[in-house]
Amino acid sequence: MSDLHTDALSTDSIGFDDEEHDITLPSDADAGPKKGIEVPLGPPTVMVQRLSVHYRVASKEREGEHLGLLQRAARKIGWNRTVTVRAVDNISFVARAGESIGVVGHNGSGKSTLLRVMAGLETPTSGRVLASSTPSFLGVNAALMPELSGMENVRIGLLAMGLKPKEVKEAIPDVLELAGIGSSIHLPMKTYSSGMGARLRFAISAAARPEILLIDEALATGDAATKARSEARMAEIRQHAGTIFLVSHAAQVVEEMCTRAIWLHQGEMVLDGPAYETARAYRWWAWNIAKGETQKAEGLLEDARAKLRATVVHPQDSSTVRHLSRHSNAT
Amino acid sequence: MSERARTHSPLAQVDDVQLEVVDISRLKPVGQRAALGSYIHQLWHRRHFITADSRARAFAGNRDTLLGRFWLVGKPVLDGLTYFLIFGVLLGTARGIDNYIGFLLIGVFLFSFTSASLNGGAGVMAGGKNLIRAFSFPRASIPLALALRQAISMFPVVIAMLVMIVVIPPHAKITWLWALFPVVFLLQVCLNSGIILYTARLTSALPDLRLVIGFASRFWMYGSGVMYSIDKFVTHPQLLAVLEFNPAFCVLEISRDLLLYGTMPDLKLWLTLGAWAIVTPVLGFLYFWQGEEEYGRE
Repeated sequence: MSDLHTDALSTDSIGFDDEEHDITLPSDADAGPKKGIEVPLGPPTVMVQRLSVHYRVASKEREGEHLGLLQRAARKIGWNRTVTVRAVDNISFVARAGESIGVVGHNGSGKSTLLRVMAGLETPTSGRVLASSTPSFLGVNAALMPELSGMENVRIGLLAMGLKPKEVKEAIPDVLELAGIGSSIHLPMKTYSSGMGARLRFAISAAARPEILLIDEALATGDAATKARSEARMAEIRQHAGTIFLVSHAAQVVEEMCTRAIWLHQGEMVLDGPAYETARAYRWWAWNIAKGETQKAEGLLEDARAKLRATVVHPQDSSTVRHLSRHSNAT
Repeated sequence: MSERARTHSPLAQVDDVQLEVVDISRLKPVGQRAALGSYIHQLWHRRHFITADSRARAFAGNRDTLLGRFWLVGKPVLDGLTYFLIFGVLLGTARGIDNYIGFLLIGVFLFSFTSASLNGGAGVMAGGKNLIRAFSFPRASIPLALALRQAISMFPVVIAMLVMIVVIPPHAKITWLWALFPVVFLLQVCLNSGIILYTARLTSALPDLRLVIGFASRFWMYGSGVMYSIDKFVTHPQLLAVLEFNPAFCVLEISRDLLLYGTMPDLKLWLTLGAWAIVTPVLGFLYFWQGEEEYGRE
């Protein structure tokens, strides 16, 4: 059978050319860098334990080579050589109420996959995700109901999240202010730019004060005032025992908006720590990659990995006073 | 970190490993479906969402056509005209049927309601995907909103149908039996909701079924006596019994008896339709609820 497995695709063959880099070097501002707003931490809201997502995809690597009859026949009927891509590989962490966690990494590092699994939109290959409530997920596609106006989308979105009609009426002015898209609110949502759509969806989701909010590459657009309003709202959600995850390959957004950051590289966790330090380490590495200093970047990656203290999650159920680990004796 | 966990886990001794003891009593796996009771409770809580969603989409539905909502009535009228020419005039199935035009109008208009559910249910989860991914709510809201929307947009269609059977000769007489027609309509709404719930889950799991459903709906139409009288063509008693078990056939037969012929329909027809109208939505709902975790996945 020509069904050979190769381990994780080397990222070098994929290339980073299509990606927007953080070319700007982190500036050592004397006035003190802008950091995420700190909020007192509460109990755990999300537990990710030994999570892996592996895809098996067809590889066309050997297209040009001469193939035997059997191999060609196998390919014709769809039996391709497959490789396993480890989109997310053995990741564990615990998020607490009040945290704003940024996930940084290059394209293809598994950031979005991690978020989709946490939202319950994708099934992990192994491992599990527990959460205190169903997370609200803001993905990249902009329109909710493209034919309907922004206003109708707001109303239906708020009702979908379980607000009562009276609460919806009260929440609408607030949503409009936070979205900051002016009179475009009366136009069909399909006419919105992706930035406008993302802001409106964030405003809708934030209005219901979700416990867990997952944001994939949104909010990076908009003027300074809109950004400040979004950040204040995220801090408010966190103060009400919420947790926010923000995926971005623009590490500066993470640096400025988050309190903690996770750096993923080819599905593996490189670093998990305070947002400012982690995002800076990532940006320094990305800058070296962009400049072609692969040797130096490798070194930085190794340094970061050495600093990582791997998290081992130990679930324990206080309501039954029973340890769920195989190392423990049930009482 | 509790002392207990430290002593119980050998990993705690390793220096560069951070042991996080998590109290998971408040946590549950993401995307896991709620128990049936709390699911129904959540669904009831979202009733305003269901009505708002169905209303908003009803208005958005025919925006791209010039005549807009006229097509709700226009399409079955054109269908009826086609069947009248082919079956009534060319093939002569009209022979022996009193008021063939009324017979055909009721058949086409009311069957189109059920076949719209079959086809609508097939695309409903794909159409609601953006909402499903963005917000967490019981997913049954989406098919139920469709059922509600179709029932509401059926009102003008039914009124047009009643006006036509009275106006077009030979005129149907309005009798006290017409008062029972809303009951048939309600039973049909229940049946359709069940159909939508079934097709919604089936086609979201296996999109290929959408193609099969178009075929199934045509097959069903010919088996329901929309444009000809079944008992005139089917003589085999067992086959006839099977065809009479068909809920769409019951709907048409009862409606024609009530509206056109002024006779009380057979009790057997009422009971068959009543059973379908209860069993289909209940089983459909349970079936849909079991797949709750699948709908947002890609």
